[in-house]
Amino acid sequence: MSLKLPLGIRLERKKDASLLNWNLKRPYPPEKIRVPVPFNAEPCVRIGDKVVTGQKIAEANGTEGVSVHAGMCGTVEKVAEYPDPTGKQSLMIEIRRYGEPKPSAPWDLRKDWEQIPAEQLAGIFRNAGLVTTGPRSEPVHVKLARHAAARTLVINICAPEPYITCELVLAMSHPVEILRGAELLRKACHAEKVVFALEDSNRETAELIKSKIYFLKWTHAEVRTVPAIYPQGLENTLLQAWFSGEEDQALVFPASTAFAVYEAVALGKPFYERVVTVGGECVVEPRSLWLPLGISFHDAIRTCKGVMREPRKVLMGGPLAGTAQASQEVPLMASTNAVLALPQEIVTEAERSAEPCIRCNLCVDHCPAALSPAMITLAAEAKEFAIAREWDAAECFECGICAYVCPSKRPMLELIRAANHPAEKKVAHV
Amino acid sequence: MSEEKPSFAQSLPPHIRSTDSLTKRSWGRTLALLPLLLAACLTGHAQILRVLLLCLVSAVAFEFLAKKLLRKKEELRNGETVLVAVLFSLLMPSRCPSELVILGVFLAVVMGKELFGGTGGYPLPPALMARAILQLSFPKVMAEPMLLAGDVSPWLVVAIGLGGILLLRQKKSYWETPVLFTAVCFICGDLWGGAEVPTAFLSGVLFTAFFLLADPVTLPLTRKGSALFVLGAAILSSTLDPHGFSIGAVVFAVLWMSLLTPWLDVWLKPVPFIFKRLIKATYP
Repeated sequence: MSLKLPLGIRLERKKDASLLNWNLKRPYPPEKIRVPVPFNAEPCVRIGDKVVTGQKIAEANGTEGVSVHAGMCGTVEKVAEYPDPTGKQSLMIEIRRYGEPKPSAPWDLRKDWEQIPAEQLAGIFRNAGLVTTGPRSEPVHVKLARHAAARTLVINICAPEPYITCELVLAMSHPVEILRGAELLRKACHAEKVVFALEDSNRETAELIKSKIYFLKWTHAEVRTVPAIYPQGLENTLLQAWFSGEEDQALVFPASTAFAVYEAVALGKPFYERVVTVGGECVVEPRSLWLPLGISFHDAIRTCKGVMREPRKVLMGGPLAGTAQASQEVPLMASTNAVLALPQEIVTEAERSAEPCIRCNLCVDHCPAALSPAMITLAAEAKEFAIAREWDAAECFECGICAYVCPSKRPMLELIRAANHPAEKKVAHV
Repeated sequence: MSEEKPSFAQSLPPHIRSTDSLTKRSWGRTLALLPLLLAACLTGHAQILRVLLLCLVSAVAFEFLAKKLLRKKEELRNGETVLVAVLFSLLMPSRCPSELVILGVFLAVVMGKELFGGTGGYPLPPALMARAILQLSFPKVMAEPMLLAGDVSPWLVVAIGLGGILLLRQKKSYWETPVLFTAVCFICGDLWGGAEVPTAFLSGVLFTAFFLLADPVTLPLTRKGSALFVLGAAILSSTLDPHGFSIGAVVFAVLWMSLLTPWLDVWLKPVPFIFKRLIKATYP
C-alpha cells in the first residue's frame, strides 16, 4: 500500500435518500422491455413467440459470446435496432407483457454446486449470460480467461459517485451470497486471495462482511477499505492504490457480478436482472431495486413512483462519469448501475459560461492520474493537439474531476477528447 | 406507454460542478484587502483614498473602453480589474500626481492585462508591471513615501495579518506560499541586515506574501513549481536592493520570477501514473 495521500475530491454523497428503504424489491413488470443483444450473440426467438422469465432469447456466438435471457414473461414483438444509453444503435429484442404476470417458479438450489470443477465454470458463466456489471461490461468468462495469471481477486463494493448505492445495498442484503460468488470466481480464475473493497464510510457493511468471513472460517479472504472520496474505489484506482506496478496480478469484479455468479452456479438462474439505483432529486422514492435488463428508463423511474418534477437531465450512471440521455426510452443495460433524474438546479449544461483558465492549479492538484489538465486543455484550445498529447493527454481516464473543480467552468473533457481524437476536428478545420 | 417525452439536456460529463468561481475568487481577494484600507484611513493615511478612487474609476473606464475597442465581451463583473486597481493603488506613493496614477492604471489594465488577452492571459502581474515601468520612468516621483514604507504603524501590520487570515480561510491558494516567503525573507533579513524600520519590513513581507503572490495566473502550474517561485521571489527581493527588503525590490523580483514561470512549468511537469498500461491490461 502506498503511503501517499489518495488523490480525489470529497463530494456531497447524497446516498441517504436511496438508503432509507434498503430492502431490495422486484417491481411489477412493465408493459414491455427491450433486451439489448450484444454483437456476439444471435437472436434465437421469432416474432410472436411466447417467452417466460429466464428463457434464452439469444444464443452465444463464438467463444467470446454470451447468451441473452428474457427478463419477464411475454410475447416477442420486434427484433430491431434501437438507440441504447451509450448513444449507439444496437440490436434489441422487444418483449411485450402477455396477460397478468405470474410469480415465476423459484430457482432450485443445485445440490452439488460447490463440487463443480473449475473447468466447467466458464461454460456455466457463458450459458447463463453473465457479463460484468462494471462500467464497461464484458463477458465474465472472457475477463477471467484474460487474467489467468491473477493471484488476487478484488470484489468491489465501493461506489464513489454520489447517489449510487446498488452495490452497497446488495452487500447489506445478501452478504453470504456475494461471498460464495466471490469464492466461485476465485476458483474459476485460480486466484489465491479474495479482497473485499469497501469505502471507509460504510463501516457496518465492512463489519458484516468481516463477520461472515470469520464464521465461514476463510483465511484467504479479507476486507479492505478505501477513503470515501471520488474517484477512489473505481476499478483502476483500486488497482493503482493496492497493486501498483503489478496490476496484472489482480482482478476486480463488482459485488453484483459476484452475486450473479452465485445465482448462476448454485441456482442455475441466468443473468437477466440486476440491482440498480433509481435516484436523483426528481424521483419521488429513490431506492435501489431489482430491475430486468431492457426496462426503459421511463419505466424504471415509474417503479419508484415517477418524478415529482420534470428532470433537466436523465443520466445513466453517476453525475461525474455518467452519460446524459436524450430520451427516457433507452433500455437498462448490464453496465447501468444507476438511473438518475436530476433537476435544473443541480446539473450543469453545455458550457455556455466558460471563462478563460486562470491557472489556479486545482485540476493539477486533484487529477487522480497525476496529469496537468490545465496544460492539456490550454494546448487543445489553441489547436496544438500534438503538444497536448506530449503532456500525456492519452493517460486521462475521464473521471471528470478537473471539470468539476474548475472555477472557470471550462469544458475540460471536450478539450481532452479533442486532443486525443483530433481527426474529426481536423476535417472541419482543414 | 411510448408517448414522446421532451428531450433532455445533453452534454458530456461531469453533470455537476463545484461552486467555486472566478468572480468569487477576485472579490474574495479584494475583500481581504479591506482591513488594510480601513486601517490606513484610521491611522492618518487618508490620502490613499484619493489614489484609490482615481485608480478604481480610471481602471473601470479603461477596461470598458478596451473591451469596446477590442470588440470583446465586457467582463467587469468578475472583479479582476477592480482587484488590479486596488493593488496598484496600494503600491503607489500617497502624494503621487493624478496624471501619473492614470498613466499607471492605463499601463496595468490596457497594456498589462487587456492586450495580452484579458483574464488569465497575462504573463506578468499587471499591477506590478505598471509599477515597475513607472519606477523606471519616473524614479524621483516614485521614491516618495508610500503606504507600506517609511514609518509604518503597527496597526497596518495587524490589518494585513487579518486580511491574510481572510485569504487563507478562503482556501484558494496554497498555505505554504505566505509561510515560505515570510520565512525566507526573515532568514535573508538576518543574514544581510533587514530594513531599518521593523514594521515596514514586516508589513512589506506580509503584504507581498499574501497579496502580491496570490495571483494564480502568473504562478507555475504545479505545487512544487509555486514553492520554487516563492523561494526565488523571496531571495531576489531580499538581495536586489542593497538596503535590504523593499517593495520596490519585490516588484522586480516577482516580475523576474514570472518570466521564469513557463520554464518552471515545463521543468516540473507532473509525472502521470501508469494508468495507460493499467487500462490496457484490464481492457485491451
